[in-house]
Amino acid sequence: MSGTGRYLFAVARDLRVAELTGTQGFHGTPIDVVERDGLSAVVCDVDLGEFGEEPLTRNLEDLTWVERVARTHNDVVWRVAAAATCAPLRLVTVCADDDSVRAKVDSLRTELENVLDRIEGRQEWSVKVLVPQGAAVEAEPAATPTSGTDYLRRKREAAERRRDLSDEAVRAAREVHDVGHAHAVASRQLAPQDPRLTGRTETMILNAAYLVEAGEHEVFTTALRAAAEQHPSVTVEVEGPWPAYSFAVLG
Amino acid sequence: MSDLDLRATSSTGLPATGAAQVSLVDILDRLLGTGVVLAGDVTISLAGVDLVDIRLNALITSVRADMRRQGWGAP
Repeated sequence: MSGTGRYLFAVARDLRVAELTGTQGFHGTPIDVVERDGLSAVVCDVDLGEFGEEPLTRNLEDLTWVERVARTHNDVVWRVAAAATCAPLRLVTVCADDDSVRAKVDSLRTELENVLDRIEGRQEWSVKVLVPQGAAVEAEPAATPTSGTDYLRRKREAAERRRDLSDEAVRAAREVHDVGHAHAVASRQLAPQDPRLTGRTETMILNAAYLVEAGEHEVFTTALRAAAEQHPSVTVEVEGPWPAYSFAVLG
Repeated sequence: MSDLDLRATSSTGLPATGAAQVSLVDILDRLLGTGVVLAGDVTISLAGVDLVDIRLNALITSVRADMRRQGWGAP
C-alpha cells in the first residue's frame, strides 16, 4: 500500500486550536485539526508505506518503532488535553482521508459526546501499590535450627509470616483503592505491570486509574498519602495528572 | 521516609512537557488498553484493533525471551 493516510490522535471538544501551534506528529509532520459539528479530530499525515496494513503488521513487532509512535502519540494527546476536553484514541488508528475521519466521528457522535461529558474538567491519576520482593525472606531468622522439630517450627512460622505479609499487602491495596475511589468520580483497574517489562524488582498488586475533578487533586493525593502511611510494608505510587485515557472508553 | 511516592507532572494542569518523563509501559498500558477505539480504515482491514493487542503480546513475549537470554531470569 502506498500514499498518505490520516492518523488520529484524539477527538476534542472546545479546542483552543491556537494552543496547538507548532505541535508535530510523526517525523516532524505538523498536526491538523478536522472539524465536525463542534468536535475536533486531531490528526496528522502518515505514509502508508509505514502505517499501511502490511508495514504496520511488521512495525508493531519492533519495540523501537512502537516506542517512538507511542511517545509521539502520547505527546500530542498531552498537548490536546491541555487545550481542550480530550478523548484520546487508541494507538495506530489510521483513516484514508478527512472525509473518512468525519464519517467516523459522525458514526460515533453520541458515544464520543458521552465520553467527553464524563471527562470534562477532570483528570486521570495513576495509583500503584508495590510489594518489595524478598520482604518475607528478610523476616526469617538466620540462625541454624537446633533440631528437626525446631526446623519444622521455623518453617511453619516463616510460612505464616509470608502469609501475614501478603494478607497485609492485599489489605493495603484494597484500602488504597477504596480511598482513591472515594475521592474520584470513577475508577478503573488496569492489569498489574510485569516486573520484566518495568525492570523493577517489586511485585505490583494494584495498578489503578482514577478520574478526579481538576480542582480536587490535592484532596485526592493528601488522602492517599494518609492511606499509604497506614501501610509501611508497601510502596504507593501516585502519578498524574494524565489525560483521561482510561475513561475514554466508548459504550 | 514517606511511603507515598508522588510524581506529579504538574500541580495545576497538563503541561506540554509533562509526557516526557512517563515510562513506556505506563504509556502502552493506556494507549493499548484504554482510549477511544475507532475502527480506522487501515486497522479495520486487519480484522479490528484487537490485532494491535495480539501484536503487542507477541512483542512482549519476544522482549521477555530476549531478557531471559540476557540472564534476566526465567518466569
